[in-house]
Amino acid sequence: MYRRIYLWAFGALLLCLGAVQARLDAQEFKLFDRTVQVHGFASQGFVYTNDNNWLTMNTSEGSGAFTDFGLNMSTRLAERLRVGAQVYDRNLGQLGQYHPSLDWAVADYRFQRWLGFRGGKVKTELGLYTDSQDQDFVHTFALLPQSVYPTDLRDATIAHLGGDVYGTVSVPHRLGDLSYTAYAGHRSDSIYSGYSYLFSQYAVYFKSYGGLQYGADLRWTTPLKGLLIGGSRLNENITGKGVAINPSSTSLALFPYVESSKADWTNQFYGQYAVGRLKIDSEYRRYWRDQFIYGETSENTTDVRGWYVSGAYRICQRLALGAYYSRYTIASIITGELGPYYVDQTNTGLPANHIYDKVITARVDLNKFWNMKVEGHFMEGYGNSEYPDGFYPQVNINEFKPNTNALVLKTSFSF
Amino acid sequence: MKSLNLLLVLSGLMAAASLAAATDDLKIVANKNIGADSISAAELKSVFLEESIRFAGTSVEPVLEDKGAVHETFLKEYLGKDANNLETYYRTLVFNGRGSMPKTLHSDAEVLAYVAKTNGAIGYVSAAIKADNVKTLVVTSGRNRGERILLTRTDPEYPEILRKMHIGGMVRLRVTISAKGNVETAVLLGGNPILGENAITAVKRWVYAAGSLQTTVEVSIPFDPEH
Repeated sequence: MYRRIYLWAFGALLLCLGAVQARLDAQEFKLFDRTVQVHGFASQGFVYTNDNNWLTMNTSEGSGAFTDFGLNMSTRLAERLRVGAQVYDRNLGQLGQYHPSLDWAVADYRFQRWLGFRGGKVKTELGLYTDSQDQDFVHTFALLPQSVYPTDLRDATIAHLGGDVYGTVSVPHRLGDLSYTAYAGHRSDSIYSGYSYLFSQYAVYFKSYGGLQYGADLRWTTPLKGLLIGGSRLNENITGKGVAINPSSTSLALFPYVESSKADWTNQFYGQYAVGRLKIDSEYRRYWRDQFIYGETSENTTDVRGWYVSGAYRICQRLALGAYYSRYTIASIITGELGPYYVDQTNTGLPANHIYDKVITARVDLNKFWNMKVEGHFMEGYGNSEYPDGFYPQVNINEFKPNTNALVLKTSFSF
Repeated sequence: MKSLNLLLVLSGLMAAASLAAATDDLKIVANKNIGADSISAAELKSVFLEESIRFAGTSVEPVLEDKGAVHETFLKEYLGKDANNLETYYRTLVFNGRGSMPKTLHSDAEVLAYVAKTNGAIGYVSAAIKADNVKTLVVTSGRNRGERILLTRTDPEYPEILRKMHIGGMVRLRVTISAKGNVETAVLLGGNPILGENAITAVKRWVYAAGSLQTTVEVSIPFDPEH
């Protein structure tokens, strides 16, 4: 019922945006003598795969269950104080399921160029695109490289409830600018995210998933025009709570389930060269995760590594072409009581432990507010392990095929 | 005297030849409440990228044009981005809660009117346009205002005959400032040579705040025949 209402609302929104797109520049109004800006976006995708269902959708038959939208308002309350908030909602196959969330809600106080504070629910600065991964309209690609920006796991890194210290300083001797962000806060995943969904196959049903996260990002805008390099570090202490069926018991009774971090960190390094119409990006992310699972009876360590190189070139104002190569590997080991039931997955050369994705894309901007994308993915491997990355056994009931080709069509509005 | 007239005619021809280029030249305009006569290129970039919200003790608001040669030149010369990249930049700010869409207007006249009536507004217009109710900021190439602050500025003489012939445009100088703040040398980098000579004469009278080292900056001075 709700899904139908959302689809109708989304369709109506698309029609309205199409009808009034020429007047979308003026999205502000006065409230108590303050100018309030209103901005929004909506995107709709369609994915078809030749083998394997992808991203929890029934893509082997073609799926359009790939929708998201957001709406924000912001204003400047005082010279240095800005406030705003954004609501976000999405449906991606079995994920999201149109449960709206507060994407960000921020009070931002900027003392100087070199020092500012943000508080509230704040987008997390991790690599080049973690904070903008939902913003289809700013990217050439319909799907960012999934080795580093898995869309099924967006909740894991998108925002934290806490605070940031940030700023930009000029490096002496005209050596460019250094921008820094340091943050701490609480991460809270939707129970409709990829990790929760993956664990439902083990009869583990999360009711909450999240915890402390803190980290920093440092990026150097070098004196070489268009060259940016940087690094990010994220530490987390996560607890997941829910109910589960004991896998080593013959009983089907549900018992309380807890898993918690022993060690949980992410390192990400990146570089970007953007000059004129050309943009080249490259990033490397390593996610190390050591969890106590089923209380503290067992321990699961996963070592997720991903990197990509992408290039995009704007042929003309309305057409951009791009390509990337994305490489993802995972190694997973379970020890303790559950150890005998699982085989160590440490051979990253196996299709079950990697995804190598070659991608080509074309983006057409119909106008300033509306774009369409056509993208081809040529994937080797399916990376199915105790931590997800796009391929889930629940929607691939027959065994996984080693290779998957995907056609992605996507359109988005923003104003 | 004949040689001077010949020089004037030649320079007039040169100016005419470069008229198309001159129309692309721009000047930085600001509301008169801004307490500065100059702005460094780095400060200008910082204001337009919404990294800085204050300049010269005043809250500032960047004002852009939506298209045109002046707009393209400004983006390329001062922000190092093309229009698409800048749009992406602002959208990323807006949708991450880190900034707002700047005021974007459709013509020089609209920019001038908005800047004139809005405290703290800074924009850019064609160098050839008459700008009465705003102040024109000299753009220096220093990294930031803290390095060398212009204390005393003398406007260059605009030869009446050139003004009547509508010969104008932007003159660019490389200026060496002593540690004490005096202008030691000024070298013409671009623009009409006669206007350049007058600009050099004026700039040599400028006084900057004392600094720790001798500094070289680039200064752009507009000559507006209508103003």
